[in-house]
Amino acid sequence: MTEPLTTAVTPEDPAAPELSVAPRVSVAPEVPEPLAQRRIPRRTVLMAGAAALPCLAGSALVVSWLTALADDGAAANGEPIVGAYDPTEHTWGFVVDTNRCIGCGLCVVACKDENDVPEDPEYSRTWVERHTTTADGVVHVDSPQGGINGFEAGVAQMSVEGALVTDVRFVPRLCMQCEESPCTSVCPVGATYRTADGVILIDEERCIGCGYCVVACPYGARYIVPAGPVTPRGVAGVADKCTFCYHRITNGRKPACVEACPVGARIFGDMDDPASPVSVALRRVPTTVIKPDLGTKPHVYYVGLEGEAG
Amino acid sequence: MNLTVAGRRLVLDPRAAYRAGVAEVARTPRPLKVWYSVLLVLMAIGAIGAFLTLAPGTEVFGTTPSFEWGLLIAAYVFFAITTSGLCLGSSLGTVFGIDMFRPLEKRHAILAVLSLTTAFGIIALDLHFPVRMVFGAVFNPSFSSPMWWMGAFYAVYLVFLLVEVWSMFTGHDRVHRYACFASSCTAVLAPLTLGAVFGVLFSRAYWHGPFTPITMLVTALLAGSALLAIVFFFVVRFRLAGFERARRLAIPSIRILLGVALVASLLLLARALVDGLTSADPDLHGATMTLVSGPLAVPFWARSIAGLVIPLAIILIPATRTVAGTGLAGGLVFVGVFVDRLLFVTAGQIIPTTTVGGVVSESFVLYTPSFVEVSIVAAAFALVAFVYTLAERYLDLREAEIHMGFHLPAFMRPWRERMVARLTPAAPVEPIEGTMGGAP
Repeated sequence: MTEPLTTAVTPEDPAAPELSVAPRVSVAPEVPEPLAQRRIPRRTVLMAGAAALPCLAGSALVVSWLTALADDGAAANGEPIVGAYDPTEHTWGFVVDTNRCIGCGLCVVACKDENDVPEDPEYSRTWVERHTTTADGVVHVDSPQGGINGFEAGVAQMSVEGALVTDVRFVPRLCMQCEESPCTSVCPVGATYRTADGVILIDEERCIGCGYCVVACPYGARYIVPAGPVTPRGVAGVADKCTFCYHRITNGRKPACVEACPVGARIFGDMDDPASPVSVALRRVPTTVIKPDLGTKPHVYYVGLEGEAG
Repeated sequence: MNLTVAGRRLVLDPRAAYRAGVAEVARTPRPLKVWYSVLLVLMAIGAIGAFLTLAPGTEVFGTTPSFEWGLLIAAYVFFAITTSGLCLGSSLGTVFGIDMFRPLEKRHAILAVLSLTTAFGIIALDLHFPVRMVFGAVFNPSFSSPMWWMGAFYAVYLVFLLVEVWSMFTGHDRVHRYACFASSCTAVLAPLTLGAVFGVLFSRAYWHGPFTPITMLVTALLAGSALLAIVFFFVVRFRLAGFERARRLAIPSIRILLGVALVASLLLLARALVDGLTSADPDLHGATMTLVSGPLAVPFWARSIAGLVIPLAIILIPATRTVAGTGLAGGLVFVGVFVDRLLFVTAGQIIPTTTVGGVVSESFVLYTPSFVEVSIVAAAFALVAFVYTLAERYLDLREAEIHMGFHLPAFMRPWRERMVARLTPAAPVEPIEGTMGGAP
């Protein structure tokens, strides 16, 4: 049997060698007084209890907070947010038919109303542009008040006088829900993420309001929510954008703008379902995406922009 | 009860501390009191501005969704790269052991810590949820984001810098050596990732591209060298601690750093202009045109000439290669770099994001900083100047006695000796002189 590496030496041990320096062995402490015989002052017990309570409460708070963060992480990874809804069974898509759009602006109104988007046209989840093409092939773009008041017929907002106008069309804009989304890859804290059904969402509990996603979006679809009487999801200082009205589509409804459009220029549906309006439209008419050269693979397709997109 | 910090006895008894404070104020020269007062007023105004930004979403900045990053981002970039630039230049003395750069050691380290903490303060005010950012970056890191890496590098950098300063003032030679090495490495990585924050954004043609991180690194060296030039001009002018060695070694070494950075900056600027003006990308071409002949032309050309060409001429012409000339060149470059960073941030966002590359009713997205933004940035400069003045007055900023062990490779040593011999007078350099805190 091998000897233990350390030897317990007590002061009473007669075999203990006399050492002039402290021995490098562990010295057993004196046999403690039996607990029953020790008297712990009541005051000490009370004070220890009083000190322990806030410590315990603090620990509980920290643990619950960390748990909440972990839960947020699960949500951010595209887990379903509605009980019976399975996002893996859908791929949402959107078709905008610029041949049909009349620039009435009802979609903008409906969106602002549905999602508590601030009234200021600077802050819009969706807006409508007017593209005026002149004979020289130049496309003039304007969007007074984000198109919320519609476009007055015959009034040229832009100085294209003297040039022969060959085409005027209204182009509704919204988040492109890109497959290769620059906004999600640049977010430093993973607050903006892509769900399994192809929608880019923002976790308002995690967003730090740095604005990186706003400048990274090549479509200008994002903004930081200003403080005010009306704020989407009741939070100011975080990024916001179109979500295809995720709270509606996960409950079997259409986005508010699609419902509001009087001419059917906005078509929404599940691209995994061949019978959905979006799938039918994509099969029947040629479409394009905005800025295809960027390689962002948008899930919003445009009819009638083939000549100018990109 | 007293506390001794950096060789100075601090009185902790409130009454005695009050009496000592009053006596110190009475001893402070009048010009210095005026200087302190101006800085304190600026800081007080900035503090009010900072308070107004605290509520998330409050619109006190001049930015809009179309122009999301404004003056505060430019100021953050400026202070952050200045920190890196200070270390890039001084690492030649601290890491590579080149003697002529050694007088920069202590001052650069203090300025770097000040500049970086100021940068962090500015970005915290620009963020709507800065506390959430700290926890989010730790618990939910997004490794695909250059911003996360930038934050990580700058956070680590601050730790290295603090260790560097501590070991320098407490004489921990070995720790100091490794802290200097680590902070110098991070001084390269941090501005590169800061450049990448902008460089990866293909939505912003003016920012996008591989040259953005490189330009950020060179601009860092430019800003850091310029600040050292300004500081060492005042060291010599007011005969502050170690001024004689500063005059003989620091000023020439700063001139070399500034010259190299200016030439590199001019080359990168020329490349950017040629690339932008000949680009088929309408966004890049349009942004470059706004600088050359558009709404940004006046500050752009003013900066290019007064902030790059004239300082280079001052450094190259023998008649102006003086202490005052170096200080002037440093001042021009320092202001120029700030203008340049503001122009950089502006030019990246000035072209509207549209469906097509068409003619937009509002050709440019214009931005005017609000008073709150201006007051915060002014206060940031005032804070750096105020704390640095205190450091200059109350800390021993003479050249550190401990020097680095990372020597140059053998084949570079003759070059170093030749450089030092050229720049050092025939008479041996006298021992480090000077007293603590010479006041203007």
